[in-house]
Amino acid sequence: VSYTLPYRNQNSTLQPERRLTEFVLEMSFEWPWQYNFPPFFTLQPNVDTRQKQLAAWCSLALSYCRHRKLYTLDVLEAQESPVFNNKKIERKLSVEAIQVVFEELRKKGNLEWIDKNKTRCLIMWRRPEEWGSLIYQWVSKNGMINSVFTLYELSNGDDTENEEFHGLEEWMLLRSLQALQAEGKAEIITLDDGKGVKFF
Amino acid sequence: MHRRGVGAGAIAKKKLAEAKYKERGTVLAEDQIVQMSKQLETFKTHLEEFASKHKQEIRKSSQFRVQFQEMCATIGVDPLASGKGFWSEMLGVGDFYYELGVQIIEVCLALKHRNGGLITLDELHQRVLKGRGKFAQDVSQDDLIRAIKKLKAMGNGFGVIPVGGSYLVQSVPAELNMDHTVVLQLAEKKGYVTVSEIRESLKWEKERACHVLDHLLKEGLAWLDLQAAGEPQYWLPALFSELSCRDVTPEEANQMTP
Repeated sequence: VSYTLPYRNQNSTLQPERRLTEFVLEMSFEWPWQYNFPPFFTLQPNVDTRQKQLAAWCSLALSYCRHRKLYTLDVLEAQESPVFNNKKIERKLSVEAIQVVFEELRKKGNLEWIDKNKTRCLIMWRRPEEWGSLIYQWVSKNGMINSVFTLYELSNGDDTENEEFHGLEEWMLLRSLQALQAEGKAEIITLDDGKGVKFF
Repeated sequence: MHRRGVGAGAIAKKKLAEAKYKERGTVLAEDQIVQMSKQLETFKTHLEEFASKHKQEIRKSSQFRVQFQEMCATIGVDPLASGKGFWSEMLGVGDFYYELGVQIIEVCLALKHRNGGLITLDELHQRVLKGRGKFAQDVSQDDLIRAIKKLKAMGNGFGVIPVGGSYLVQSVPAELNMDHTVVLQLAEKKGYVTVSEIRESLKWEKERACHVLDHLLKEGLAWLDLQAAGEPQYWLPALFSELSCRDVTPEEANQMTP
């Protein structure tokens, strides 16, 4: 079985270790049975079947983004992503179908359009409240309540390297902290060179 | 000629003789009854011995069950015909098939969401065995068919469709007539079928083929693939071989109706 790296052309400038990591990540993802079922990539005419199909697509898209830690998606690029394009069976979701799936995700609260033309979106395979909870747990577990952190320290610091929220993109990090703020567990503050947060 | 007496005495004598005969008859009947009781006692003991000896075998060995069923058929007995009585209570035959029937229903319900209520006998067999665990009794495909026939007789919407040397088990009372069945059989080879293939193999008109395929789509038994080279393909999840080893996915589990 010949294998094609995702976004091959874009990644050709990446370091070998990064490409290997991408490769491992790709291979370790467990595809659901529908993924290799050719009709899965055709929007089904029967209403009940389509419902099942869309539910499965939403679940697959979220799992995949979670696995690859993708926080944004571009509709045109998505068409070439392994999720929506199964080269092995030569089937892929049409742009229209991808938009239908994305609309489902939006209705469920897992997706937000960045632009009016609906070409790029934020993908939330975890809700801000859930991220906030994880971050707060880590802070309290390490006895760092009342400490101040920069946003960068939280998402990219050495200390958080093994945490799930490591690598979290700033827009999502901010929303998570805002959720904590609403619960009275944190306060977002402005520092000299950016934003920071204090936990209570 | 000396006439026999028809006087009162003669009548009385006759009556006495009759009474004696009757008594003898009664005595005879009593004898017989005692004899028969004794025989029944012996018979019952034999049956109980037979039952206890073979109850284990019935539960353990599918081969024994087949031979047992065949024997019953030759003497005109259906061990599954009634819930009570010797066969099901003492031998536990009814229990065995009843429990198997429940298992079959569970498997079919769990997968109905995926395959629309149609499953190959092979896949059903695999999943039933899996559900019984490593140390459980052996269950053969013959056992499954018998249990399904019983379920069908109880009006559970079950049916069996012969395809390509084996069977498809239908667990939802979707209306499937001969036309549908024959198309399912055609689809069994590759897991999908096209309008052209139906027309070639069955010599039908296009309308008839489309009508059947539309019905299968409507019943949730088939999915449409518009990206195939040439013409649309109609795929049946039930026949999709990759399904055999896969468990029910979490989202499927959430969407299962009880």
